[in-house]
Amino acid sequence: MSGLATLETGLLLGLYALLAGIWGVLWALAQFRRTPIVGHSAAAAYGLHTLVALAIIWWTPLGLGWKCLIVGSSLAFLAIPPITWRLLQHTHDKEKVGA
Amino acid sequence: MYRSQTLAVKYLSAAIALFGIMTLFGLISAYYYLNPDFLFGILPFSIAKIVHINTLVIWLLMGFMGSIYWFLPGELGRETAGIRAAEVLFYVFCAAVAVVAVVFIIVQYGSSNEVALWLINQGRKYVEAPRWAALGIVVIMVVFAYNVIGTAIAARKTTGIITVLMIDLIPLILLYLIAFPAISNMSADLFWWWWLVHLWVEATWEVLIGCIMALALMQLLGTSRRIVETWLYIEVALVLGTGILGLGHHYFWIGTPNYWLTIGGFFSALEPLPLLGMVVHAVYDAGAQHMKTTNRPAFYWMMAEAFGNFIGAGVWGFMITLPQVNLYAHGTQWTVSHGHFAFWGAYSCGVISVLYLVLQKTRNLAFVDGPLWKWSFAALNLGLVGMTGALLVSGFVQAFVERAIGGSTLNAFISGQENAWFVDGMVARFLLAIVFTGGYVVLVWDALSLGRRAPAVATVAAAQ
Repeated sequence: MSGLATLETGLLLGLYALLAGIWGVLWALAQFRRTPIVGHSAAAAYGLHTLVALAIIWWTPLGLGWKCLIVGSSLAFLAIPPITWRLLQHTHDKEKVGA
Repeated sequence: MYRSQTLAVKYLSAAIALFGIMTLFGLISAYYYLNPDFLFGILPFSIAKIVHINTLVIWLLMGFMGSIYWFLPGELGRETAGIRAAEVLFYVFCAAVAVVAVVFIIVQYGSSNEVALWLINQGRKYVEAPRWAALGIVVIMVVFAYNVIGTAIAARKTTGIITVLMIDLIPLILLYLIAFPAISNMSADLFWWWWLVHLWVEATWEVLIGCIMALALMQLLGTSRRIVETWLYIEVALVLGTGILGLGHHYFWIGTPNYWLTIGGFFSALEPLPLLGMVVHAVYDAGAQHMKTTNRPAFYWMMAEAFGNFIGAGVWGFMITLPQVNLYAHGTQWTVSHGHFAFWGAYSCGVISVLYLVLQKTRNLAFVDGPLWKWSFAALNLGLVGMTGALLVSGFVQAFVERAIGGSTLNAFISGQENAWFVDGMVARFLLAIVFTGGYVVLVWDALSLGRRAPAVATVAAAQ
């Protein structure tokens, strides 16, 4: 990998993870604030995350296996906030019933 | 108050004092990059860095121990077993840390013989403490494990959190035994040394802080045990599942087989996934409580822990964890940037959160708030984020100029160090380290004066 490609790849990978985090936070906030802007911002963050994932796949010299990992991680990042949320609600609801 | 909780206050006080020494020596280490002649012939950079890194390890360890000594009696409904030994060992621990620090600063180094290993420095990063002190740490940790396990046996009960903690203490102690070097082959030595460093930081310590945060959540937000324990099990399983084999992401340039690089890259690339779950959990808790709490600093530091862990360990780690990037970034300021952010987010914020919880109880405050904690929160976090940003820029230069273009020769190293972007990054890091230090001073001021200032009394009255 060339010097420039190292920096580009590193930055893209960081941006990729950061946007996944922003997506998760905004998605969770949208569950509390039913205003559409927060939900739209969450979707926009995940859209940007997907664009960065595509940039990693097309532009960077990472091997095929690592690119598959990026695709798989993006899908996992998409699923984690709603799954976590449902689990949290489930445990809290069970607790309320128990009480 | 239980004796164990009095001991906890002492441990947390010692931890915060060591946090200050770590900060001071970090500041000194940062200044060497601007003025390499600084303290020439008196205190070399290598020694300042050793003190900086070792006090980091010890202040966090003391913070964890203090947190456990605080929560343990309440959790198991009785005084901590073997509390007398723990009290004596606290003073032994403090004295040993002081002696080791004085030896590091004054004696600095010795000959390459057994005497130097026993009395001055074992020479392995993060665990440089001389052998006598390392043995002392083992004794202290064994007594600490006895305190936890013995209390559970004496109380004839345990909880999910305490069970996880008891299991965690076994590898925590066993892994530290690697701190005693006996291998003359450097590759083999580094191979095992990473087991200690990585599996402490990214496995056993993660579980330890997970237990502490679970106990703190119950006290701070009144979250039910069932919820906290369910999430502790899930998060510990996910963090361990991705963290243990992430070990391979350290195995660069030390002669380990290539397959470790792939294994390490793959598993550590999965680490942001559970961390995202923790961030969502933090938002859920904050929203469910409507950001209302009787201890605002503890609450905000706990939130900072969840977000800081994701950004420092997750985002910063993900930048460098794939082998193609790690090959160049390894051992540069890029990894230093990641290390600073990850330690801060994953551990330091959590210990500060517990500190405020303890202060609330010991000062008998109904409500904790005020301007000082906000200033310290802002300055510490801004300083830390700024430092890691500046280190990142310098790290980019090293990876690019020194490693990728220059091929890691001595000339390339010098070119990297003289590059204007590298130098500017180091200047910015030093200035932001001053901001961080200011935040520390305000933190101590707040901790010392909390509940003794007029506005705090007013807020208590307002809360009532």
